[in-house]
Amino acid sequence: MRRGVDAMINHTRREFLNTTASGIGMAALGSMLTHDGLFSRATGAEQTVGPSAAVNPLAARPAHFEAKAKACIFIFMAGAPSHLDLFDPKPVLKERHGQPLPESMLKDVRFAFIKKDKALLQGSPFKFTKHGECGMELSELLPHLGGVSDELLLVRSLHTDQFNHHPGQLMMQCGRGTFGLPTMGSWLTYGLGSVSKNLPGYVVLTSGRGSSGGATLWQSGFLSSTYAGVLFRNRGEPVLNLANPQGIPVELQREGLDVLRHTNQQRYAEVHDPEIAARIASYELAYRMQTAAPELTDLSGESQATHEAYGLDRPEPKDLNGRGKQGDTYKSFARNCLLARRMVERGVRFVNIVYASWDHHSNIPKELPYNAGCVDRPIAALIRDLKARGLLDSTMVVWGSEFGRTPLGENRNGKREVGSGRDHHPYSFSMVMAGGGLKGGQVYGATDEIGWNAAENRVHVNDLHATMLHQFGLNHLKLTARYQGRDFRLTDVGGNVIPQWIA
Amino acid sequence: MRETFFIRTVVVLACVCLCEANAGADDLSYNRDIRPILSDKCFFCHGPDENKREAELRLDVEESAVEDVIVPGNPEESALIARITSGDVEERMPPPDSGKQLSGQEIKLLTRWVRDGAKYQPYWAYERPEKHPLPPIPSAMREWPKNWIDRFIADRLHHDRLHHESLSPRSQADPATLIRRLSFDLTGLPPTVEAVKAYQLDPSEENYEQYVDRLLSSDRFGERMAVYWLDLVRFADTVGYHGDQDHNITPYRDYVIDSFNDNLPFNQFTREQLAGDLLPNSTIDQKVATGYNRMLQTSHEGGVQVKEYQAIYMADRVRNLSSVWMGATMGCCQCHDHKYDPYSTRDFYSMGAFFADVDELQHFKVGSNGLPTKRPPEISVLSKRDRLRLGAVEANILKLLADLGDKAPAENADAKLPMAAGSGDSKLAELQRLREEKKRIEASKRLTMVTQAIEPRVIRLLPRGNWLDDSGTVVLPQLPKFLNSGKSSTTDNRLSRLDLANWLTDPSDGIGGLTARVQVNRFWYLLFGTGISKSLDDFGGQGESPMHPELLDNLAVQFIEGGWNVKQMIRTIVMSRTYQQSSEWTEELLKKDPYNQLFARQSRFRLPAEMIRDQTLAISGLLVLDYGGPSIKPYQPSGYYRHLNFPKREYKPAEDAGQWRRGIYMHWQRQFLHPMLKATDAPSREECTAERPRSNTPLAALVLLNDPTFVEAARVFAEHVLLQPNLNESQRVTKVFEETLFRAPDKREREVVQTLLQKQRKLYANNPEHAEKLTRIGLTKRSETLDVQELAVWTVLARAIFNLNETITRR
Repeated sequence: MRRGVDAMINHTRREFLNTTASGIGMAALGSMLTHDGLFSRATGAEQTVGPSAAVNPLAARPAHFEAKAKACIFIFMAGAPSHLDLFDPKPVLKERHGQPLPESMLKDVRFAFIKKDKALLQGSPFKFTKHGECGMELSELLPHLGGVSDELLLVRSLHTDQFNHHPGQLMMQCGRGTFGLPTMGSWLTYGLGSVSKNLPGYVVLTSGRGSSGGATLWQSGFLSSTYAGVLFRNRGEPVLNLANPQGIPVELQREGLDVLRHTNQQRYAEVHDPEIAARIASYELAYRMQTAAPELTDLSGESQATHEAYGLDRPEPKDLNGRGKQGDTYKSFARNCLLARRMVERGVRFVNIVYASWDHHSNIPKELPYNAGCVDRPIAALIRDLKARGLLDSTMVVWGSEFGRTPLGENRNGKREVGSGRDHHPYSFSMVMAGGGLKGGQVYGATDEIGWNAAENRVHVNDLHATMLHQFGLNHLKLTARYQGRDFRLTDVGGNVIPQWIA
Repeated sequence: MRETFFIRTVVVLACVCLCEANAGADDLSYNRDIRPILSDKCFFCHGPDENKREAELRLDVEESAVEDVIVPGNPEESALIARITSGDVEERMPPPDSGKQLSGQEIKLLTRWVRDGAKYQPYWAYERPEKHPLPPIPSAMREWPKNWIDRFIADRLHHDRLHHESLSPRSQADPATLIRRLSFDLTGLPPTVEAVKAYQLDPSEENYEQYVDRLLSSDRFGERMAVYWLDLVRFADTVGYHGDQDHNITPYRDYVIDSFNDNLPFNQFTREQLAGDLLPNSTIDQKVATGYNRMLQTSHEGGVQVKEYQAIYMADRVRNLSSVWMGATMGCCQCHDHKYDPYSTRDFYSMGAFFADVDELQHFKVGSNGLPTKRPPEISVLSKRDRLRLGAVEANILKLLADLGDKAPAENADAKLPMAAGSGDSKLAELQRLREEKKRIEASKRLTMVTQAIEPRVIRLLPRGNWLDDSGTVVLPQLPKFLNSGKSSTTDNRLSRLDLANWLTDPSDGIGGLTARVQVNRFWYLLFGTGISKSLDDFGGQGESPMHPELLDNLAVQFIEGGWNVKQMIRTIVMSRTYQQSSEWTEELLKKDPYNQLFARQSRFRLPAEMIRDQTLAISGLLVLDYGGPSIKPYQPSGYYRHLNFPKREYKPAEDAGQWRRGIYMHWQRQFLHPMLKATDAPSREECTAERPRSNTPLAALVLLNDPTFVEAARVFAEHVLLQPNLNESQRVTKVFEETLFRAPDKREREVVQTLLQKQRKLYANNPEHAEKLTRIGLTKRSETLDVQELAVWTVLARAIFNLNETITRR
């Protein structure tokens, strides 16, 4: 420990003496100086992850064991896409289209909108075909993903505890459907720090309309805001308040900051408050972000082939109307996928792409193709691109949502008819993952014959998180943070690592 | 290198002290040294949770432990010691799969404790606080103490248990620092330059005391205290869930501010919030206060199951109540008995049953996606001050009407009276003015959510928190069993929210002692940046024992005996020598007490979000000190609410004086909290927040540099400095420093500033259009008598000074 501390001090000193070039190093030092500029007690992560966290909460630090993944791109399909129309072919459901469910199955079941005594089963109107060497069956709405199916781990047996959007989304991001908890990206940056010198370690990108969960989906909960996701906006300046005020061009900004730095430094020399050093560094990082963020979001240096592969210039389909259509949703989603790759290249630890909404209570045949069409090509391109750049092994790409949708057609009006939409369904849903040391080209788990319950190799959200953390070299039982006397973890009180997923 | 040595010292010593802190060489204390280890490492399986108890062994109860695994005085014979030291992995406790491990130091401590007789102590927080005699003053510190608080601090410093040598406290803070600290701590605002100067001229005890009283009687005191209370009770302008629509609650904020300003006794404050509607002949204020029970996050999202959300709301209320008043983490008991404290699941649901009469079902049906949404029951009220004003206005109207007799026009008559028609008409004009004022006041009525009692619904214990499971027993409102001395509900005589409130603040038949400890510990935190017990929201076994238990007790006793008098409590603390010390460190203090647990110095910390805003506005002269009322919306980056649906909405920044009001009045959007508040660690107010984290992120730097509120304030401040007559440049620089930091710049700072001014002048001379743009930011009209480029130059300087660490730090 002593040696570690000395190394840290030397590192700290170097950074301080050379503040203009200092890394994120000291940036968040102050957040640890919880009371009055001194070091707080070690928290769970420091105890288990290493001493350097006590000085700098965002310093990159070793995992519990060797990590396969270094970065994660979580593509969050808020609103809950229908697994039955995209990932989980159910011929029996199709056969029984228009039939009621046996009463025994409905006894203890609740729905958001379906009137269950009149509801009827609804088969998928879409064709499923086999793809790749692995023969993965996917809906005709996902041809591009089909093209990378040998990279994909398709999980068909997820289930969750929540069935309203906001709690469900919190469950997927925080491991429990309640407020005030850290999100996945917070846990990863808390556990591993960040290697990015000029950008935040945890970034959020959005497309489509807003999600139910809003900013609670990238909150840091009871952890310091050092670990909160930073929203990169697709309109206006990329980060809130990033741009200088009008009338302060870059060279003037530097001057003002120099005064700030000199004066703060002098003060530091007099009173030795490490908080001052931390503050100096946070201003310097802000300054570097002012350059790095626009550079990051400037895609003009990307090749035409890349633009095309991601579908960056695709117009919105005229003939399709879908949820989340805002005039530029196709473009912005594609752009976000490409930005995610650029962020990972620059050391960002966790990118959360939120795309809403998939809440198809009606009109699946017309609207689902719009949403699927929006995401299919860019995600496939992202996976290929990461692979081509040698980044896929260390980058985990996850496609998921808060829950699935009912095999019953939605009949909000209480009529005995099939309808065209599906209701919220927590008992089974599908997710797709790639890279990050996961074993691609496989389908894991299965639902029952009508896609109602996750039946075989059931995967709880906590299991998903446990396995994700495992790939990052983190033992989900040991990555804890104490809050109100309890050691919290991403996996709440559950979670089992799923060995079959690991390459 | 001094810095290097310094940092090295801090880091190394911080580590060393951590290990030593609980391992004093003299007598061990169960509460201080042993219980924390057992609680953290053993109680999970051998503690209060009946359903998870392994081998029927309880280590939290002396009888059980001694009967089973401890032979007092004889570690060699004690199974406890054998198991924690066993070389056999199968045998060793705690087991590896628990994820818990005892350190060598902890094993040594436990062994020593058993050898010394394994003495248990009752848990400190649940014992009634008693008044301890004041310790004698150490001879070396004869002159030091100012009041009784200092006696405890001095005694501890003199007999420092940790290090067997005495520590010296810091000297008195310099007058400017002290006055600035006091002003922020008591009002959330910086002092005026005049106030600082006056005290500098005569830094006497009397002057200090007078200044304390002036601050305590200022309206700003209530606003400052309310910020903290609103964090605790999770006050926000929006519902939190799904569409995060606005709900009506701002009169509750006024109530809280008024209560602190009127020095409403804390026990009454408690009663009114939890059960104001149940008080006989409850007043409007008491009804408004019951908004407390309605402030939680609510949902009318399509498809919510009423029963599920009723369970969620109930749990939310128990969590908040137990955090705010009891310093307890009862949320744990929603699904299982508490792992560390003696609260049971039954206690949890029985506490929840106190809220079974809260009328709230309507919103599942009528909750709309409007702004605001509907959350009945709501009442329409005037603020307390407006009610008083209205009363006065109405009385004057009556008087005038009597004077005017027949000449008085009817109230609804056309208001356009002949204004200039002779002497008798001044009364007519006055009448008209008063009638208009009356109308204006009446128009300021606001809706606010309140609690109305209805027939209580049936509350069942939910097995593992599962609301779908109806198999649990029906529970009545009951107080936690281990804390209760007798009161209980029967089917004929049900305890009410009022009984609960009374129990919370009753020192003899309730837990008034615990409540008082929790509250005074938080007052201490507000005045020192850290509590006497560091865990402000957990006085249970996983929390930290107070470093000065006798002091905490005596404060609690004074709080109760003084009639739950908040102002008196705060006055007592700030009158102490301990409070008035310098916050600067010595190497000795760093070495021996890196976390300032002994209070041999004051603390320094970054100002909370609202104070950063308020200070900037105050220094610039922009601050508008209007009192109470609806929330205000300062500048915010456009499109920030783009992600909010149901309904889509656009944020409309204030175009009037609301733009420059205090931070406490800012619109609190739970899902998308104003970026300035968020970046400076204000909570989203989903759960009780007793302590805000203090971070240093680039986002905060960007806000303070670029948010128009701050840029505008810098410009207006620059105008103020430039408009001073007959000052040369050097004097103006002095003015900037004095009005921000209450000191003159030193030589080096002057040089840096001069260089900046010169360079900026050149740059703006070459880019006059930039100067034009910069000085046009904000709604405040630019002074047109000043040279625009010069104004831009000084704006840049002011902006830098506003961002100085020293400026945003409370010292």
